[in-house]
Amino acid sequence: MALTDQQGKTPVAWRPSLTGLASGVGAPFISLGFVLLLWTLVGLSGAIPEAIFPAPWSVWSATVEMWQNGTLPNDLKVSLSRAAIGFGIGASLGIFLGLMTGRVVVVRTLLNPFLNLLRPIPAIALVPVAIVWFGIGEGSKYFVVSYTVFLTVWFNTHHGMQYVPETYLRAARSLGASRFREFATVIIPAAAPHIFAGIRLGVALAFLSLIAAELSGASSGLGFRLQEARQYIRTDRMFSLLIILGILGASFDYLVNRLGQKLVHWEQA
Amino acid sequence: MADAIPQVGRVEIDDLVIRFNTKQGEMTALEKTALTLEPGTFTALIGPSGCGKSTLMNAIAGFVDPSAGQIRLDGQAVTGPSKDVGVIFQQYALFPWFTAIGNVRFGLKQMGLSQAEELERAHAALEEVGLSAHADKFPQQLSGGMKQRVAIARTFAVGPKVLLMDEPFGALDAQTRISMHSLLLDVWQKHRATVLFVTHDVDEALLLADDVRVMSQAPGRLIRHYSMTQQRPRAFSTSGPELLEIREEILGLLRPRETANEH
Ligand SMILES: Nc1ncnc2c1ncn2[C@@H]1O[C@H](COP(=O)(O)OP(=O)(O)OP(=O)(O)O)[C@@H](O)[C@H]1O
Ligand SMILES: [Mg+2]
Repeated sequence: MALTDQQGKTPVAWRPSLTGLASGVGAPFISLGFVLLLWTLVGLSGAIPEAIFPAPWSVWSATVEMWQNGTLPNDLKVSLSRAAIGFGIGASLGIFLGLMTGRVVVVRTLLNPFLNLLRPIPAIALVPVAIVWFGIGEGSKYFVVSYTVFLTVWFNTHHGMQYVPETYLRAARSLGASRFREFATVIIPAAAPHIFAGIRLGVALAFLSLIAAELSGASSGLGFRLQEARQYIRTDRMFSLLIILGILGASFDYLVNRLGQKLVHWEQA
Repeated sequence: MADAIPQVGRVEIDDLVIRFNTKQGEMTALEKTALTLEPGTFTALIGPSGCGKSTLMNAIAGFVDPSAGQIRLDGQAVTGPSKDVGVIFQQYALFPWFTAIGNVRFGLKQMGLSQAEELERAHAALEEVGLSAHADKFPQQLSGGMKQRVAIARTFAVGPKVLLMDEPFGALDAQTRISMHSLLLDVWQKHRATVLFVTHDVDEALLLADDVRVMSQAPGRLIRHYSMTQQRPRAFSTSGPELLEIREEILGLLRPRETANEH
């Protein structure tokens, strides 16, 4: 399809130039390799104390250590399931309410001004309230994550519903489509690219707000482990956890984006 | 011409006026207009840009409410869009998330057919416009002419009594446009809906229509009516000098500075 037309071109002559690679799939790895090289050089020079800026090999052994003592696998499991559950609740509520406020005037009038007022409140500011309401267990994490995801997904879905082209609706109605068919097979697909943009943002925000929630008031999870490392001044562990967070976030973003391209394939034309 | 002229699809427009509320206040998009489209006829509507052609069409389609007057289809007031009045848009209005056949099936879904029957009818409709080979392509993969053929198939498949076309071939090149003309006439002869066809192109109007209606500058009214009796397919070279005379006259009417007299 349209995608392969652009990426499936075969180069006439294979020339491994930096500019050529930078536009291909290997681009992120060049950049990462470069940074890793710099980091290694800094570590080898010994210019900055290990306790402040640990070298790559120290971070690696901290990772292995956390993996072997079982904290890392457990923290990953705990954090990922919190993010997933919070995201699931927030995204489904967001899509549902976005469809409602997008199409039903009463719901829109009742809710939109209020929801727009909530949007600028940062997730981290909610953590104290969440802890009072739900304690330091899973409940407060689900709440903070789903709340953040909900607002973003709602906003994008609602926005997408406003931009359904009038001609689509006119075409559907003059073909005799029922209101239900129009909603399910015209309005929702027309808004789908916006809904997906919201979901993609939601995935990123799920991690962001989860870590915020785990940093203060948790007894497990990647955020908690970061906080714990601070108490023992284990910068090597902190670096390891930060890198893991980066890799997780980037991988999920990539997957969601790929899924989006599949589901709303007509947008890439 | 077809022998069996159907008795359904009579459009009666009584003293229709359409006004819009704009920031500068109320504006009249269509002046008091009376017009009857006889069942199974092909009427072309031509007029200067902004005179209210699309507005008239949108009112017949039920997209816009009359400010005064009434529109009736076979005696029933038009109160909103329905599958009795099909619309072909200049921008095709195909759903990009459905394939060509998916678009045709969209309209058929409402008719309570079995899956097999629905599929069969959709294929037949695409066949009629010569697109069987492209049934599974998405609109983005089709040319402008092909898209408009899918739109025609989609609209005729639900069996409209009236077909409104708003500059349907305006975005196509001259060559494609000519082949679309004969395709449209073929399909129309078969289904025999009452057609109202808006165009900027005088030649197109004269080659296709039974009746050519000319509108004035904005706010538009109907100022001239020509009944075309020449056999189809028509051509300026073979359909007699009359056609060229009418053409000159209409071009004169459409010339901006001239004030056209009532007729
Ligand atoms: N929804 C609307 N709200 C306000 N004004 C409108 C609306 N629709 C049309 N108009 C105005 O009504 C007038 C007639 O518009 P219309 O689209 O019917 O013209 P037209 O004859 O189809 O022109 P064209 O040949 O350029 O398509 C124009 O001045 C237009 O700006
Ligand atoms: Mg128009």
